[in-house]
Amino acid sequence: MQLSLTDQLQWIADSTSILVPELILVAGILSVILLNIFRVVHFRIYGAVAIASVTLSGLSVLLHWHTDPVSLFNHLLRADDFSSAYKLLFALGTLLTFLLSLSSGTSNKPAEYCSLLLTATLGANLLVMSTSFIMVILSLELISISTYVLAGFHFTKPGAEGSLKYFLFGSAATAIMIYGISLLFGLSGTLNFTSSEFVSHLIAQHSSLVMLSGFFILAGFLFKASAVPFHLWAPDVYEAAPLPVVAFLSVVPKLAGVAALLKFTLAINLFGQSFFDWQTVIAAVAILSIVVGNLSALAQKEAKRMMAYSSIAQAGFLMAAMAPLSLQSMQFMIFYSAVFLIMNFAVFTLLQQFETTYKTTSIHALAGLAKTALIPSVLLTMALIALTGLPPTAGFTAKLFVFSSIWEAFTGTGKSILLWLLLIGLLNTVISLFFYLKIPFYLFIRANTLTEPASAKSFTFTNLLGLVLVIALFVFFFYPALLMGWLNRINFVL
Amino acid sequence: MAIEHLLYLSAFLFSIGLVIIITKRNAIMMLLGIELMLNAANLNLVAFGYDGKIEGQVFALFVVIVAVCEAAVGMAIVLRVYHYYTTSVPDDISNLKEQR
Repeated sequence: MQLSLTDQLQWIADSTSILVPELILVAGILSVILLNIFRVVHFRIYGAVAIASVTLSGLSVLLHWHTDPVSLFNHLLRADDFSSAYKLLFALGTLLTFLLSLSSGTSNKPAEYCSLLLTATLGANLLVMSTSFIMVILSLELISISTYVLAGFHFTKPGAEGSLKYFLFGSAATAIMIYGISLLFGLSGTLNFTSSEFVSHLIAQHSSLVMLSGFFILAGFLFKASAVPFHLWAPDVYEAAPLPVVAFLSVVPKLAGVAALLKFTLAINLFGQSFFDWQTVIAAVAILSIVVGNLSALAQKEAKRMMAYSSIAQAGFLMAAMAPLSLQSMQFMIFYSAVFLIMNFAVFTLLQQFETTYKTTSIHALAGLAKTALIPSVLLTMALIALTGLPPTAGFTAKLFVFSSIWEAFTGTGKSILLWLLLIGLLNTVISLFFYLKIPFYLFIRANTLTEPASAKSFTFTNLLGLVLVIALFVFFFYPALLMGWLNRINFVL
Repeated sequence: MAIEHLLYLSAFLFSIGLVIIITKRNAIMMLLGIELMLNAANLNLVAFGYDGKIEGQVFALFVVIVAVCEAAVGMAIVLRVYHYYTTSVPDDISNLKEQR
């Protein structure tokens, strides 16, 4: 389709007006950098600007909700329901990250910190909107490069190490992905994976090269989602990075990776007409992530490292949610993503409370602290119960939806891998009980063998934030319709 | 020259890059390997654009830019690691694993 120059310019102008949430984020990034030029030193000022831009960006997503998909910039991006829902989640996640960072006190390079976090959010926003491989690579790199730096933001020895490992893994995964894209470009003749040309050319191809390039491209998404073959960076990075950054890394890039993976899988599966069964691949990766994440988490003695393995297992559950590749499963995936965001941030907020009071996140050091810090201990227990997937929390509702949609897909298609996914998912919910409840066990039952701990203030901002998040988990358990009713109105278009 | 030759060359470059990443222990050498892999992809993208498909060549330009940004950040991280550990061999840096 060739357009005249005026039409193309008009398209660019129209597209820009739809891109309001991203433009607000860009304005936020630029104003943070500008403030830095004027030698503003207070973290609170930068934080306020960043929070304002994230909140405005989230609000503008709500105000300009695109029920009908709109293609932007010569089919590079597309604004639709699916991407809008995820953009809202990213805005919420980044907002919580900033609140968490502000409550943890000072940061040694506030301007860089805020602008990098905003940049990563911008990348996540663009990634879920992208329909062309050019945008996929650019937005993935926007997330990657800013998070490589954020991972080392403690400016300590372990921080540098975590950041180096993250970088080497990440850039290797991206290089493999780009090579896969170059092969797929040759086979399909287009970089736009939602176009009819892509589908019609690939249906004709029965070569194993399609399979190979598909696997190569999965590498980049799985790295972002920290799903199994590309999960090795997660524990080291999570242990070494500052807590708010860990909370951010475990939610926003992961959800962006999984959402983009869903779009790509639907495209390469060619609406079920592909000669190779990509659903099996997704289900297999989900099973592996759940098993490896949960079994490795059992042996951990450090809360942040344990949460890294937990987040690998949760990536597995997110992929399990998408495995049926049906319309309903997409709604459940967004539901799971939203609940996962809340419960993960709840856990990290409360861990932050323990870290600022007791300067450690080692599980053994938490022994008997429930006596001095009762409120955060109770809240942390609730959040961990939600992560396990037990009632009465939204974690249970989300897992129930996921398992029921897998069961439906199994009875519909009769693929045995889906049954295995269901059984292993259920079994691992039991296994995860052992490590998630290890923290409450130490907090409440083990006596403190060390010196008398300093008494903590109960009424802190961090505790309040944790309380709000935990209440949200209960609300979504008793009234899941609050979220599901809204998700049901969303129509998904590939 | 047929397009196959270019594809074989790019596959060869990609394999060399992958082998370098897996076998070499130095972070700088691994960066070199990554760069080779990216250039293999670029070669493919340009080769597939032989019949006037400009998309691939545009993408190749973007990949070059992305590679430069990545290398800049990567060098900065390697420099910082060298500052702390006086080595750039990732295997010799294992503070994080010992704590387990």
